[in-house]
Amino acid sequence: MVELKVDQDKCLGCGNCVVACPVNGSISPEVAGGHGSKTEDTIMMVENGLIKLFNPQKCTKCGTCPLFCPTDAIFLE
Amino acid sequence: MVTNTKEVKGKDICVQRVSPEEKRELAYKDDVCVGCGICAKICPTEAIELGEIGAIERTGVDESKISIDEAKCVLCGMCSSACPVDALDLKLDEKSIKDMAEYPQLIKSAEISDDLCIYCKACETACPRDAITIARILPERSKLVTGEIEIDKDTCISCGICEEMCPADAIEMEHHEPTSSDPTVSSDITVNKDKCVYCLICRKSCPVDAIKAVCRSCSYGDYDLNPEDSETTGSSFIDEEACVNCGWCQEICPVDAATVEKAFEGELILNQEKCEACGACVDICPCNVLSFPEEEFGVQGDKLQADERFCIYCGACENVCPVEAIEVKRTAVKHTPTKSKSWEKQLSELKT
Repeated sequence: MVELKVDQDKCLGCGNCVVACPVNGSISPEVAGGHGSKTEDTIMMVENGLIKLFNPQKCTKCGTCPLFCPTDAIFLE
Repeated sequence: MVTNTKEVKGKDICVQRVSPEEKRELAYKDDVCVGCGICAKICPTEAIELGEIGAIERTGVDESKISIDEAKCVLCGMCSSACPVDALDLKLDEKSIKDMAEYPQLIKSAEISDDLCIYCKACETACPRDAITIARILPERSKLVTGEIEIDKDTCISCGICEEMCPADAIEMEHHEPTSSDPTVSSDITVNKDKCVYCLICRKSCPVDAIKAVCRSCSYGDYDLNPEDSETTGSSFIDEEACVNCGWCQEICPVDAATVEKAFEGELILNQEKCEACGACVDICPCNVLSFPEEEFGVQGDKLQADERFCIYCGACENVCPVEAIEVKRTAVKHTPTKSKSWEKQLSELKT
C-alpha cells in the first residue's frame, strides 16, 4: 500500500509541495497562488517551519509533490 | 481441490491453475502495461486492482501497476481480451486465447506499407512508444552526379587548399616533410571519385590552376544517370508489444503509408476550471495526447491541451487525475464476435 509520508528532519519548510499539490489547490485556491491556506482542510501545510500532514487520506498518490521537493522530505512509499 | 498459484518475477505476475485436464496461465507484463485499469474494470470477480499509477510512474515507487488476487481470479481471460495494449495474456495449455477464434479480440492494428513508405523516419521520431524502427539504405552519392576531374600533379604546389576546401572530403594528400634527400613539399594527391560531387570548389580555389574539373550533371545528367539509382530503399518494423495503436505514425506520415485501427472510440473531456496543472495526466498518457503548450517567452503554460487524434480512450489520464478534471468517454468497443453473452456484456460495459 503506497502512502504519503514526510521526513521532517529533511524538510526545509519551503512549502513547494503545499503549492504544487493539485488537491490542495482545489481545496484552497489561494494555496496554489503561493499564499497560506485559510483552512486546515488541505493535505499538507508548513507549520512552524516544517511540513505537516493534516489530511493524508485525501492524497490520490498522483506523485506531484515529490517532483517539487528539493530534499526528498515528502515522498510516496 | 485445484488451487491457483501466483508467481511474481520483478514486476511481472503469473497466475496459474494446473489440473489434470488443463493448464491455465495468466501472464502480466508490467513494462507493457500503461495503467489504464481496463482489466480491473472488466474482471468479473474483482481480482484485479489498479495500483497507484501516478506514484509508480512519476516517483519511482517500486510496485507493479496492477495487483492480481490469485484467490479471486478464475482465469477466465476477460482481462486478456480487453487489455488494449496486450499486457495480459491467458494461455490454455500453452496456447494464447488471443490466437483462438472462440475468444473475442479487440480489433486494433498498426501497419506500415513498404510499397508506399519513403523511409523519412517521421513515424519513428513521433512514435511515443519507440515502437517503430525504419532501416534505410541511402543511394550511392557517386551515382547521383556526373562529371570529370583531373589534377595536374606537375603544376600542383601541394598547398593543401583544395583538400581543406573540399566539402565532400574527396581530396586526400599525403603531406611530405622536406628532408635533405628530398628538399620539397611535393606530396601525392588523389581524388576519391566515389565522394566527389563535381562542385568545382577545388578548381576555383586552386591558386595555380592545377585542377581541371567539369560538372556534367545539368547538361548530361539525363543520359549519364539512372533515376532508379537515386531511390532510398529500406524496411519498416513495428514492435507490436510496444505499439499501443495511438495513430501518431498515421497522422505524421507524409505519404499515407501508415494505417492504424483503434479498438475504442470515444471522447476526451477536459475540465479546465478543475485542472490544477499538476501534469500527472501528461506523464501517464501512453500516446502523447496531452500537453501544456508553452506560453510566450518559453514560459511553461498551465492550460492543458489535448489532441484527440492520438487518443486510444484507455482512461489512464482519468485514473491518475487527482482533481477529476478529465473524463474519458468510451462510445464503442470494437471486438471480434463472441457467442458468449456474458463476455459480450462485460465488453460492452467498458463503454461509459
